Amino acid sequence: MEMKGEYVIPASRETVWEALNDPEVLKECITGCKSLDKESDTEMSAVVQAKVGPVKATFKGNVTLSNLNPPSSYTISGEGKGGIAGFAKGGADVSLEEVEGGTRLSYEVTAQIGGKLAQLGSRLVDSTAKKYADDFFSCLSKKLGGGEPEGGTEASSS
Amino acid sequence: MYATTYHKASSLDDAVAKLGGAEDGKFLSGGQTLLATMKQRLAAPTDLVDLTKIPELKGITLDGDTVTVGAASTHYEVHSSDAVKSAIPALAALAGLIGDPAVRNMGTMGGSVANNDPAADYPAALVGLNATVHTNKRALSADDFFTGMFETALEEDEVIVKISFPAPEKAGYEKFRNPASRYAMCGVMAVKLKDGSVRVAVTGAGSDGVFRVPEMEQALAANWSPDAVASITVSPDDMIGDLHGSPEYRAHLVTVMAKRAVAAAG
Repeated sequence: MEMKGEYVIPASRETVWEALNDPEVLKECITGCKSLDKESDTEMSAVVQAKVGPVKATFKGNVTLSNLNPPSSYTISGEGKGGIAGFAKGGADVSLEEVEGGTRLSYEVTAQIGGKLAQLGSRLVDSTAKKYADDFFSCLSKKLGGGEPEGGTEASSS
Repeated sequence: MYATTYHKASSLDDAVAKLGGAEDGKFLSGGQTLLATMKQRLAAPTDLVDLTKIPELKGITLDGDTVTVGAASTHYEVHSSDAVKSAIPALAALAGLIGDPAVRNMGTMGGSVANNDPAADYPAALVGLNATVHTNKRALSADDFFTGMFETALEEDEVIVKISFPAPEKAGYEKFRNPASRYAMCGVMAVKLKDGSVRVAVTGAGSDGVFRVPEMEQALAANWSPDAVASITVSPDDMIGDLHGSPEYRAHLVTVMAKRAVAAAG
């Protein structure tokens, strides 16, 4: 599955960049994130509890930052195992651009899931992934002093 | 399925207390979604608190123009209730279309509504008929109750006690079923209430769960006929896309099923 979207966040590019590299901010903006600990400047370990309707699965995994080009772009990727529920992995290319009134954040996400979660069918998975992305960026925008961000996420299955 | 501890709640307070005492508890009603999920090991609550034996959650009554359905009423009980059949025949018919006989004899209205599956039938009924959801804490309009795919305004320890429906002037529900699961690919409830207002609620199609179609409501308020909605379409942008149907296909179904629902209402 692939998703892309863009948001205009009313804060300077440096401020957005710092937020995107701050484990505390990331933790608060990832829905269901129980812990996110910095192992090094580019490695974090994470525990995320995903809850969709009756399904509840805890994923343990790693988050890695790469292709660092401060303060304009990076790639954030992660993978986690949810026990019997299956696995999830994905990455996002995030780029920041200065625009009037703030910073335009654009991202392209690719995500894969496997195991029992995948058997649920993409009806749930696409909608859920889109919701996680929208929640994450609207939380980030609010933390940086904005209201609801403009724009949103478009999802497509492949 | 992993080991879990079953509790039978004898009252609303007992249910809340038992859930509060559990490490990772869940309320259980008919179990037609939750138990299947647990058997798949996609959920593993330590404790299940059965709500179906609580007296306040039982029974279906007709009082004047209001039908009140206890949350633990099964789909079969709703389908075969004289009160529902006489005041809201479209609701009785809808309940008879849910799932298969096993689901209809075990599954409950409260359980279905609390789960808010984006393809379940009851959310369209509640929103279309402008129902009120009564919990152990408050009363919520259906519009406020459903907040997104699998999401409701319910708090963790909040229990649906009953759901009340105003008897409409006319109402029709039509769904295009997935032949395997019998879930709605698209289901539309078209309702004219006795105060003259019109409501059109769609389930199965929207990626954020049940939604209303204001353009159709306005057109039907002026002219209650299938032709009035025939040229009104919804955008595929917000529709579900999966192996059963593309967003464009579901958007098309919304108009088709709306026409049929209006025709069925008469």
